[in-house]
Amino acid sequence: MAAAAELSLLEKSLGLSKGNKYSAQGERQIPVLQTNNGPSLTGLTTIAAHLVKQANKEYLLGSTAEEKAIVQQWLEYRVTQIDGHSSKNDIHTLLKDLNSYLEDKVYLTGYNFTLADILLYYGLHRFIVDLTVQEKEKYLNVSRWFCHIQHYPGIRQHLSSVVFIKNRLYTNSH
Amino acid sequence: MIQSQEKPDRVLVRVRDLTIQKADEVVWVRARVHTSRAKGKQCFLVLRQQQFNVQALVAVGDHASKQMVKFAANINKESIVDVEGVVRKVNQKIGSCTQQDVELHVQKIYVISLAEPRLPLQLDDAVRPEAEGEEEGRATVNQDTRLDNRVIDLRTSTSQAVFRLQSGICHLFRETLINKGFVEIQTPKIISAASEGGANVFTVSYFKNNAYLAQSPQLYKQMCICADFEKVFCIGPVFRAEDSNTHRHLTEFVGLDIEMAFNYHYHEVMEEIADTMVQIFKGLQERFQTEIQTVNKQFPCEPFKFLEPTLRLEYCEALAMLREAGVEMGDEDDLSTPNEKLLGHLVKEKYDTDFYILDKYPLAVRPFYTMPDPRNPKQSNSYDMFMRGEEILSGAQRIHDPQLLTERALHHGIDLEKIKAYIDSFCFGAPPHAGGGIGLERVTMLFLGLHNVRQTSMFPRDPKRLTP
Repeated sequence: MAAAAELSLLEKSLGLSKGNKYSAQGERQIPVLQTNNGPSLTGLTTIAAHLVKQANKEYLLGSTAEEKAIVQQWLEYRVTQIDGHSSKNDIHTLLKDLNSYLEDKVYLTGYNFTLADILLYYGLHRFIVDLTVQEKEKYLNVSRWFCHIQHYPGIRQHLSSVVFIKNRLYTNSH
Repeated sequence: MIQSQEKPDRVLVRVRDLTIQKADEVVWVRARVHTSRAKGKQCFLVLRQQQFNVQALVAVGDHASKQMVKFAANINKESIVDVEGVVRKVNQKIGSCTQQDVELHVQKIYVISLAEPRLPLQLDDAVRPEAEGEEEGRATVNQDTRLDNRVIDLRTSTSQAVFRLQSGICHLFRETLINKGFVEIQTPKIISAASEGGANVFTVSYFKNNAYLAQSPQLYKQMCICADFEKVFCIGPVFRAEDSNTHRHLTEFVGLDIEMAFNYHYHEVMEEIADTMVQIFKGLQERFQTEIQTVNKQFPCEPFKFLEPTLRLEYCEALAMLREAGVEMGDEDDLSTPNEKLLGHLVKEKYDTDFYILDKYPLAVRPFYTMPDPRNPKQSNSYDMFMRGEEILSGAQRIHDPQLLTERALHHGIDLEKIKAYIDSFCFGAPPHAGGGIGLERVTMLFLGLHNVRQTSMFPRDPKRLTP
């Protein structure tokens, strides 16, 4: 998904009515937002944080110092790890790690829904959509988290809904 | 070397019969040397006969000299020996042998047939489960080595069990159908025209012309129905020149085929076929438990489950289940192998069965001789049956009307000249009939939960293999 398109999606999910115009910069088409008062903002995560503040939903950036750090960490992860990789093998390593991370957490920061969940959902959507039923079952925690986020009001919008089967087909649980 | 020099009045006892009941008896046994291990004044042998083995002991004493112990320790593995000894009860069960309660104290030992010292594969490695091999870093034998040295590989307890069970499948197939009033027929394998379409057929030179190896007994089964045999079956080789190198394709396999005239509805036939399969499954579970357990030791898997009566789903229901799971498919699309497997998992999850029928396939994906559904022109009176999510049988009601048959052949772009004899066989009164065929190797593989059809074909043939 192009950065500008993603940022529009984010605007809508945050409930912002005004659609900003984004320009792109450099070889990797990093998004740039020209603000009315001040310098331009560069980069997906910088602009996203700005939009969150604009929408008066700062809690989405984390409440405690620790939570804020975790949110920042996952936003970094999103841009460096997920956007950087498009090979199948890398994605599977990534999903395996994410799966163990999410074993004991409802959301990326633990128990609170944050911007990290939103941007990771948008970033991973194009990979999750192509997973087989067996792979979705293998990365059970990622599937649980993804399914939860995609049902959040206002988040999914026009993105396709990924089907997750509720019962285990492949693990010997019969 | 036994050249039939004499006829000794001697009874050879089977290793499987060496039990506590025979304690203290002197017996003669002929078996293979599985292992031999010298320890000072003693030599421990494991003697193996098909799936059974027993520990034997040669010790310096009244009956054995030091030289004899040394001789026994040096007999090459796999050599065939005749042993006379006393059956003795043991205090501690011998876990590594099938005969756990006794051992044989050897008095005489003769080599009947000596094996070469270097074996191309070790039987212990060939029986080792993959997981154990990986965990403990011990050797297992790969498939090509096994197939290249099939004579030795077939001696393993697992192989013995697999092919005894396969023999059981043939036997139960025959027994069940004969009890249902079917007649066994033999059909020709050298034929003048490709029966299922020209692409995958082997050509042989037939005197001054060419002939083909039969891809299925289809035409002849049907001719027998037109010849008033009503219910027929045949067991014989099927030849498919398909350049498919998969886990489930062979170029030559054994087909078990059924064809039956029916009264009013093709379900009469479909249900008979399903019931035959169920009788086979039940028979295997009743009579071949030992073999199933033996195979499971090396290849663990869930026992085969089925419902009575057999579960029947319609193609449109299957489509709905797949779509619900996120698969995108058109109404008239055929099932791809991954989708078949996924469907198998979904059906197992929902109905707890490894065996089911899929009825009313789209007409577009079936051969030209399939009878269309009278109520829905896009569907057909055809069915597939699945075991553990893989197709084992394709069947249908056949078109028995020469006019309709000609129409459908033209629709499929088939040269009518090539199938003239086929169409003619329906011109003199043909009963409505249906049937289907299964592959013996595939059914054995899926029943036992194995993963490659070459494990269940004694001397498999595929695009890359013509020997042994």
